[in-house]
Amino acid sequence: MLRTLIRQELLTHLMSARFFVAVVITLLLVVANTVVLIDEHENRVANYSQQEKVHREKAVKAETYSRLELFVERPPNPLSLFSAGLDKRLGTTVEIYHGDVPMISSISARNLGNPYLNLFSQIDLVSIFQVVLSLLALLFAYDAIAGDWESGTLRLVISHPVRRGSILFAKYIAAMICLLLPVLMSLLMVLILCSLASSIQLNGSDFLRIGGIVWTTIVYLSVFYLIGLLISTTTRRTATSLMLCMFLWVGLVLVYPNWSRFAINPVSDMRAERQSASQQIEQIWEEADREEQRFLANSPLDGEPPRFNIGYSGSSSRSGRRHGFNMTKVDADSEPSVPHFQNYQAFIGATHIRLAEKAALIREQRLARTDIRQATWDKRLMKFSPASLYTFATSAWAGTDLDGMLDFSRATQGYRQMLIDYFHDKDAFASRQWFASDQGTVDWWDLPQFRFERADVWENAQRALPDVSLLFLMNLILFILTFLIFIKVEV
Amino acid sequence: MIRHIIQREFFDHLNSLRFALTTLILVALMVTNAVVHLQSHPDKVRRYSENITADQNKLQSATELYELLKEGPGRLYKQPSALTFIADGGDAFLPNRGTTSWGSWSRTAGYSGQVKSVWSLDYPTANLNARDLRPKATKIDWVFIITYLLSFIPLLFTFDALSGEREKGTLRLCLANPISRPALLVGKFLGTLITVLIPFYFAVLLNLSVVSLDSWTQLEAADWGRLGMIMLIASGYASIFIAVGLMVSASTRDSRISLVSLLIIWVALVVFMPSTLGTLATKWMSPVQTAHQREMAKRSALDQINEDFDERMRNKRETRSPAANLLNEIEELWKTAPEEAKKLAKENEEQLRLAMAQLASQKAGPEELRIRAELVNRDVEVRERLNREHLSAQLAQVQRARMVTRFSPAAIVQYALESMTGTGLNRHLQFLDGVDIHIRQFRNFITETDRADTESLHIIGVPDGMSKKPISPQALPRFEDKITFSDTFNAAIVDMLLLVLLLGVFLSGAFLVFIRSDV
Repeated sequence: MLRTLIRQELLTHLMSARFFVAVVITLLLVVANTVVLIDEHENRVANYSQQEKVHREKAVKAETYSRLELFVERPPNPLSLFSAGLDKRLGTTVEIYHGDVPMISSISARNLGNPYLNLFSQIDLVSIFQVVLSLLALLFAYDAIAGDWESGTLRLVISHPVRRGSILFAKYIAAMICLLLPVLMSLLMVLILCSLASSIQLNGSDFLRIGGIVWTTIVYLSVFYLIGLLISTTTRRTATSLMLCMFLWVGLVLVYPNWSRFAINPVSDMRAERQSASQQIEQIWEEADREEQRFLANSPLDGEPPRFNIGYSGSSSRSGRRHGFNMTKVDADSEPSVPHFQNYQAFIGATHIRLAEKAALIREQRLARTDIRQATWDKRLMKFSPASLYTFATSAWAGTDLDGMLDFSRATQGYRQMLIDYFHDKDAFASRQWFASDQGTVDWWDLPQFRFERADVWENAQRALPDVSLLFLMNLILFILTFLIFIKVEV
Repeated sequence: MIRHIIQREFFDHLNSLRFALTTLILVALMVTNAVVHLQSHPDKVRRYSENITADQNKLQSATELYELLKEGPGRLYKQPSALTFIADGGDAFLPNRGTTSWGSWSRTAGYSGQVKSVWSLDYPTANLNARDLRPKATKIDWVFIITYLLSFIPLLFTFDALSGEREKGTLRLCLANPISRPALLVGKFLGTLITVLIPFYFAVLLNLSVVSLDSWTQLEAADWGRLGMIMLIASGYASIFIAVGLMVSASTRDSRISLVSLLIIWVALVVFMPSTLGTLATKWMSPVQTAHQREMAKRSALDQINEDFDERMRNKRETRSPAANLLNEIEELWKTAPEEAKKLAKENEEQLRLAMAQLASQKAGPEELRIRAELVNRDVEVRERLNREHLSAQLAQVQRARMVTRFSPAAIVQYALESMTGTGLNRHLQFLDGVDIHIRQFRNFITETDRADTESLHIIGVPDGMSKKPISPQALPRFEDKITFSDTFNAAIVDMLLLVLLLGVFLSGAFLVFIRSDV
């Protein structure tokens, strides 16, 4: 009996104009956007490899250790096609320097193309499903019960020996299959288009992630279908049910996610927090200056730092607290003070590394209390809408969410540590090659390379799990509610 | 007769659930908008005036003309519009000031003294959201409310206007009376328009009364004029979608099909088109220079200037010291064969030292100052030209993308409202024009003041060549960023015309469809 019911429901849905129109429009949107997005991704990949090359050349060009300018670039995530998240928005270039710990806030965006194009909001494939298919789900559901009621077919069906639960269940299954079809068709289209593009290489775990995204999509669409079903069982007229569904849809998908961030801001003014942190950091660097003074008091070096009275030809550069030297020739009468200068540089290197890490703790705290706190609050508030939950869950699957970005900044921190280890291995801080290239320039052949591996699938799954289970819970509650109401209701 | 139809339509809708929900959602959003504006606007205005005073103070602390030239005209902030609650205009993505400083350089000029750079115009980059970790969201401003809801709600009111009556058979009944089809359509159109606009105007009224509580937002006569235009634009936009709704409703027999097609049209037109077309359009545009390419172009242009300068300094030097010839020769040789140059220098050490001392002791004459000034000025010129080219390439890309997005009425309305309120890209372009004019004035002021001083050598660009007289801070040209009604109106006129055109097209479409359709 259940099979007959499902088949009948399925056929009515599949033959209906709404299904046809929705599928066509979804496919059109998906294909048009995929073409654009793949092209964009290709540009990003090309830009990434070019930047990589530029950075590499720049690093190898340094004649002395102190002149090393090391930059790393965040590789574009191929799954940003599905869920853009923060992947395209945040900067991509980070400078690696032993006297400064890279944070997510120090990622620079100067290689990000035309910034004015931010005026157009970004589109990803998930947002198409989010808007179009949730609308379709409600359009399937609004007259599921109320329509049968009005036409009298509900009474007819119930007069047969069939349980009410199975009627509900049959309707649910049939609608979900119909909703799944456009999802799978567009996925097929996307994968075909992706395989035509050379820049997108998806590996096995990427397919698992895409599987996770599809699964989340199903759970999400089911929430909207059940909302529609609930409204349809409680109201007896299709007109009423339709209006409620439409306004609820606008509220949940379009209005609430924007409204909550706009209207509610539980994080109060962060300027005070920022200021106090900056003061603390300034104190740390004043400490550095004092330590330097103390060191210099015992040092036979005379003259003003950073070059003292060392006569040399060559060049020097300075940005902030760091000084780069390239002495191509040290004057003969300055030669005796060179070992002391080496000692001084070793001392400065060690101090800066230590204090940078101390400052990093404060910066980390500041970040957690300001930007990240605000972002988490926004997320928390937005989670009342299933549409936002869906966005968050899919970006967690794709690895384009905040956690994914923090992974990258952790990787850059690890790379800085590798650089420091490399310097220590070479005893670079205390070496003459730190500042002078008169005895040969530095050979960078064994400079460690930066590699960034995205978090593995299970990590992604764990991050997506809270949001997916919230969606799941919504499903459960909605289904039970609908079921109870439908059982009790008079036909 | 039309009056009867309008009345009937209106009262029909007034009692419906959709009318209640419409009022509810519009009022809720408009009140939120006003309350948030009350909270955030004072801060914005305060920060603007703080910035301006800090900037002015810094500028007026300059005592010498050269200092003015070196430090530049300040940061030139953009005045926030009093009507930002209407259209945010991507405020977060556009810079709030017109200039920035890129740093400075200094280089040696021969053996006597240094040449220092002066201020040159560079535009701040608009990458402010690159540090924004918050999930993306649109501001709930009037633009949001109008573009999304004033298009969605008309569709919900019209999808069954004709197809529903056809299903019930009342349409046949109605047309059996001595009433023309156009009259019926006009009646339906106006009736629905009034029903949609009443809750909207009510919500706007509430919004404005909350906003007017704020002493920071002072609405002037011009602002009320703008508000009037904005209401007109919003009403025009709603009528477009009513016309679309009637058209689709007239062409279908089943009101469910009519609803689905309308919703799908709406999703494509309002939700996706503005951003999809924007990105789609950039696909076929040549990309702007990357930071690296730009750096390379700048460097090669500047190297050229510096080489020219070296060349001229060398020629100049020959006339000043007999031993300078030797110096030039060694420098020339250094480029090709450094070893031989060293040898030559060692052989003539005594003579060289003499020449260098001689050159260093001499004060640079006006001729040499002129060469230095030329280096400084050409450097500024090259930088500014490259910066301007880069910016206009970026902006041209955005402009073209915007052109393409105008296929969607939602985008047209967004641009019209932004231009009307004085936010968004058009306003930014006007602001940049103002910045350009001000910088020209500022430089003219320096030249004029210098010309008035008879003791000065009138060589702009180097401290020794310019007037040393103290300048009066009052005489400095002030930068005033003003939003005038005519500017905003002119920027919005194209979009408004487009809206009128669209309305005409869809209304006549609805007429044609309805007149030819079977009852």
